[in-house]
Amino acid sequence: MDNLMQLFTEAGTLMLAGMVFVFVFLGLLVVFINTVLVKLAQTYPDPVVQRKPQHNSINKKEAHDGVSPSIVAAISSAVTQYRQQHSKKK
Amino acid sequence: MESLNTLWLSTGLANFELGQVIMMLVGCLLLFLAIAKNFEPLLLLPIGFGAILTNIPVAGFSEVGGLLHYIYYIGIDTGVFPLLIFMGVGAMTDFSALIANPKVLFLGAAAQFGIFATLFGAIALNAIPGFEFTMQDASAIAIIGGADGPTAIFLASKLAPELLGAIAVAAYSYMALVPIIQPPIMKALTTPEERKIVMGQLRPVTKVEKIVFPLAVLLMTIFFLPAATPLVGMFCLGNLMRECGVVDRLSSTAQNELINIVTIFLGLGVGSKLSADAFLNVETLGILALGAVAFSIGTASGVLMAKLMNKYTKAPINPLIGAAGVSAVPMAARVANKVGLEANPHNFLLMHAMGPNVAGVLGSAVAAGILLALVGS
Repeated sequence: MDNLMQLFTEAGTLMLAGMVFVFVFLGLLVVFINTVLVKLAQTYPDPVVQRKPQHNSINKKEAHDGVSPSIVAAISSAVTQYRQQHSKKK
Repeated sequence: MESLNTLWLSTGLANFELGQVIMMLVGCLLLFLAIAKNFEPLLLLPIGFGAILTNIPVAGFSEVGGLLHYIYYIGIDTGVFPLLIFMGVGAMTDFSALIANPKVLFLGAAAQFGIFATLFGAIALNAIPGFEFTMQDASAIAIIGGADGPTAIFLASKLAPELLGAIAVAAYSYMALVPIIQPPIMKALTTPEERKIVMGQLRPVTKVEKIVFPLAVLLMTIFFLPAATPLVGMFCLGNLMRECGVVDRLSSTAQNELINIVTIFLGLGVGSKLSADAFLNVETLGILALGAVAFSIGTASGVLMAKLMNKYTKAPINPLIGAAGVSAVPMAARVANKVGLEANPHNFLLMHAMGPNVAGVLGSAVAAGILLALVGS
């Protein structure tokens, strides 16, 4: 029983010390964020990235005609090939 | 005839003991929970399979020369696997919500009360015949309240390796049960009006802040709690790799391939500790019960702390986000968001709850460091 009481006392001390330490440690972190990090954020803000409008000829063409030139080229060559094969058979 | 007899004696059927059969069924139950119920499948699946493998008679998976024996001693006994997992978790963690609203760190601190209160519970169980928990055992059990798998495994491997299987299973099972355990406690401790509180928008956080934060946490741990530096150090390394933006390949490896590989081995290693003689005893029941108590007290103290802060701070704080202080990232934050949405369908608390959630990870690592420093020697 004495042993149990001793363990209880030890657990109580551990709880008190542990909770105080966790609060102090994370509290210091709060202070650090509120002072140093906030200052850092003001001194070194993220650079504003401006997105350039895309100057892509293929995209422009696509937007205009609805079909990209590469697809048109592929279809034309396929049609030409098909016609050649057909004419040979005749 | 004699060779037939020898053959029979080398079969599993002739060598099965009741305890092994029961533990294989426990392994199957874990597989069922992982596959059918989707409870922490990434860990419960390898743990369940490891439990089946380790209880196979004659094969000797967990004896010297067996695969699981080496996996356990290389990765878990040394503490390497949980630390590698912690690095991956660091690489997956975004501290923006915490840096934008730092006072939620107190919620993460308050939720650690679950750990220290459970210490009492574990010691109190010694009054019942059959329980003989030392202070080391009690500390390793109490860390289940931190709701952080790697931290629990790390601490158990250092303080009470014989209880590791039960502690890991309890920790991961309760983490999977967060959506069931937490809401009733959250609702019981808050009024509908409190649950409806809308929190202000968070400020944007700059890249410099995100880079300096893990370094500052590490520096503070070095100064005040070197015992926690293995956990906090690996966590901060992972987070720095994520935020610095110059080692995307390493960051990606830490949070994908590496963590996946280690998870397989960690699960198998923990499963190897689920042998009949180590698991089938009254202490395991005590650990499972204490784990639930630890979780509940942690949730309650987080919510109560948030209520207290809401009374005394200018910016309103919804008490529900206090429950996310028990780590269990990101499940606890999702639960806070869900319970908040039930009270007010236009109130999204997820980002606000992520702050105390990641604060809980730091808090439980610090608590583990304190237990190691005070009890480990």
